[in-house]
Amino acid sequence: MATEPSPQFLNSIRLKYVKLGYQYLVNHILTFLLIPIIITILVELARVGPEEIISLFRFLNELDLIYVISSMLLVIISATFYLMCKPRPVFLVDYACFRPLPNFRVPFSTFVEHSRLVPQFDEKTVRFQIRILERSGLGEETCVPPANHYIPPTCSMATARDEAELVIFSAIDELLNKTGMKPKNIDMLIVNCSLFSPTPSLSTMVINKYKLRSNVINFNLSGMGCSAGLISIDLARNLLQAHGNSYALVVSTEIITPNYYLGKERAMILPNCLFRMGAAAILLSNCRREGSRAKYRLSHVVRTHKGADDAAYNCVFQEQDSEGNVGIKLSKDLMAIAGEALKSNITTMGPLVLPSCEQLLFLFSLIARKVFKSKRKPYIPDFKSAFEHFCIHAGGRAVIDELQNNLQLSDEHVEASRMTLHRFGNTSSSSLWYELNYIEAKGRMKKGNRVWMIGFGSGFKCNSAVWKCLRTVKTPVDGPWSSSIHRYPVEIPDVVKLL
Amino acid sequence: MEVLATLTTLMLIYSLYLLYKFYSLKLSSDCYLIDYVCFKPSSDRKITTEMSGAIVDRNKTLGLSEYKFLLKVIVNSGIGEETYGPRNIIEGREDSPTFDDAMLEMDEFLNVSVGDLFKKTNISPQDVDVLVVNISMFSPAPSLASRIVQRHKMREDVKTYNLSGMGCSASMIGVDLVRNIFKSGKKTLAVIVTSESITPNWYSGTDKSMMLGNMLFRSGGCVMLLTNDPARQAQAKMNLKCLVRTHIGSNDDAYNCAMQKEDEVGRVGFHLSKGLPKAAVRAFAENLQQLAPKILPYSELALYMYRTIKQMAVKPKDSSSSAMARINFKSGVDHFCLHTGGSAVIDAVGRALGLSKYDVEPARMTLHRWGNTSASSLWYVLGYMEAKKRLRKGDRVLMISFGAGFKCNSCLWEVNRDLDDGDVWADCIKNYPPQSLVNPYMERFGWVNDHTEDSFKQSEREFLSTR
Repeated sequence: MATEPSPQFLNSIRLKYVKLGYQYLVNHILTFLLIPIIITILVELARVGPEEIISLFRFLNELDLIYVISSMLLVIISATFYLMCKPRPVFLVDYACFRPLPNFRVPFSTFVEHSRLVPQFDEKTVRFQIRILERSGLGEETCVPPANHYIPPTCSMATARDEAELVIFSAIDELLNKTGMKPKNIDMLIVNCSLFSPTPSLSTMVINKYKLRSNVINFNLSGMGCSAGLISIDLARNLLQAHGNSYALVVSTEIITPNYYLGKERAMILPNCLFRMGAAAILLSNCRREGSRAKYRLSHVVRTHKGADDAAYNCVFQEQDSEGNVGIKLSKDLMAIAGEALKSNITTMGPLVLPSCEQLLFLFSLIARKVFKSKRKPYIPDFKSAFEHFCIHAGGRAVIDELQNNLQLSDEHVEASRMTLHRFGNTSSSSLWYELNYIEAKGRMKKGNRVWMIGFGSGFKCNSAVWKCLRTVKTPVDGPWSSSIHRYPVEIPDVVKLL
Repeated sequence: MEVLATLTTLMLIYSLYLLYKFYSLKLSSDCYLIDYVCFKPSSDRKITTEMSGAIVDRNKTLGLSEYKFLLKVIVNSGIGEETYGPRNIIEGREDSPTFDDAMLEMDEFLNVSVGDLFKKTNISPQDVDVLVVNISMFSPAPSLASRIVQRHKMREDVKTYNLSGMGCSASMIGVDLVRNIFKSGKKTLAVIVTSESITPNWYSGTDKSMMLGNMLFRSGGCVMLLTNDPARQAQAKMNLKCLVRTHIGSNDDAYNCAMQKEDEVGRVGFHLSKGLPKAAVRAFAENLQQLAPKILPYSELALYMYRTIKQMAVKPKDSSSSAMARINFKSGVDHFCLHTGGSAVIDAVGRALGLSKYDVEPARMTLHRWGNTSASSLWYVLGYMEAKKRLRKGDRVLMISFGAGFKCNSCLWEVNRDLDDGDVWADCIKNYPPQSLVNPYMERFGWVNDHTEDSFKQSEREFLSTR
């Protein structure tokens, strides 16, 4: 039976149109201002009549040649200097993620069994680990390195190097294959791995394996946490501004072999349950010819460091427990600190990416609160109007929930993050790239879409990067999700009963 | 018509503005070293001959051949009696370093030197835009860069970079990083912190190739302040002219010659192989090939070309290195800061560049007074030159360092004004150069060379029975 739409519904539609109209008006204000100017010029021309226009042309013909040439020269020189002063574009040519083989899997049953068999864990610790895993949001296909499959895990420098070679080399091999890039053409190399830093560095390991040139500019970042991938991208961008026509290879990974915590401190057990094996290799370039085949262009990178605040500095801290085991201690106010860091980051990010309509609204709300002392809640800009896709670091379920709440995102926006956490676990700095691959594999990445990558890390840092998609990504996408994307998205229960 | 004239004038003004913008961009790619502060550990951390003997004695797994080897190394090292070590080694706990010990070692350096730099240069920590920290063999989470941010309450938008695993030439890698950031044009103030962590890296096994590190590395560090702001040029000590990095890691021998790994029993140590000098020579040669055209005057380059052609004309088939024409680096460089990797390294580099005793004196004295402080050693060498009042305005200083991988990095600085700040050398510079560089180790432990295996074991048994 057809019913009359309720007055509230009609009102909400009208409101929606008003909102759309307002958005359209403010975002295209310059175009709207240009219309009356064009009309005036046309009217003026019509009034003046054709004879004046012809006399104008005759006047131009009579001008000295030197005058004409010098003005043309001036135009050309201005154009050249303008192009030279412009910052070079940073293109993401392509990227590749490490695809773990099924034999590295650690399903729930394996995790429970191994925890029970490791002699260093007592029953209380085992039950605690299992409880964390039940609520973690991880699935049954996450992978750990070969050394961690032993009971007890055989963590040594040699096995850590093996894991590094496995994950990094496979990611780079796939990337070089995909892009047809020759290692000799790589000009810059940045490797970031937070918790494993041998000498010579992992970047030297890559130079040795791929026989890179002797004048390759390489940096090895360490200890910078799960947001280090975006720090590497920022550094690569700086290098690409300083050198023209270059290619930069960025490798983000976390080597978890040497970091398995074998003690009983509860606050330090969490990383065992969440961190999994992963790596990503990204090829960036500032060559203009890459603009035609590059997938994305880097628009902005914003870094926020809350280290000046003691609580923020101490909330993710690597230390030795009373028995001498080294582990990473996570404090209870981690979520609150993450929220604060995010707020600082988006305060800087907002003016760079938000459309004018949102910025204006935010400005009005700010004026109302500061000048007129209005008691209204601060206006949280709608970031959904600035971005089509969000890649939130899959640090854990709580992190994703917190961000979804703070930014008022829908379930579809955070789907990539949740599904990556389920399928791959917390792969630290490379998780953002697994999430990006999910969005592509689902066929959602269209030309012109903007992606916001947000990473958090110890220190406490919140880094974000904005990418613009340059060409629609066609499915099927060859990547770490190839074998499993058809099963996703899955419903992730709050608690998976293991005991 | 006036419209045309107005348009042309506007274009002219706009192009002048662009020219100015382009010029200022070029200008801000300058890199000025405003000042630097080296670290002087407290005197209760000095490692004397007696102490070294006691440390070696504590390792019960060592036999006679190891003792002889260690004696040879330390006698020939060129290290004196005034070098500093980390606390846990001095207190006898080198075998079981804790995480806190390693942090304490870093804190003793960071808590003193970073604050000293800010005081010396009159800069507030909130003015710092970029912070680069490199400590090769210790990398906790959160990074040591974050630790500095926390202690000095730096700004939220400070860009931190924590480099690790990059070896003894990492301070120049830090300078390279900062130099690249400066090219973006924005006026930036950067702080570079460089040091090395010895506490968690003591080798307690018997593999000789890994014991070298124990004998040579000492505690030290340096904090530098750099900027690209031309307004601070008057305050700056030096101006960076060029920087060349060479990495021959693509060669397997070079990659494996200096590597942190486990020995046969599973103890982690820093392995220095016999192929290290060869790798160093290759990397050095390649680096000089790139560096020479950038720093030498055209006259010297032309002379070198002439000499080479003349040689090829006279003996076209002779291509041995001894017959090759020599290139005189002293024509473009006034002072040489050589990495104090050991007296063998300094001698080899000095010979290759054709340097005199006067030229290598700063490096040798630094090795004697401070030992091999890894990446920060170049800055102690620079401090020596400054304390000796050798650095005059317009002088050019060449820094060369080597690192695991194998890397050779070099850079050329131009001195901005007459320098006479003694810094950490102020209290002892008058004692340098000393009459003799011979250290007392031979005198004290030379008896080891007189023993055979059996007599050594016998004397050990006797020594233990008297305890």
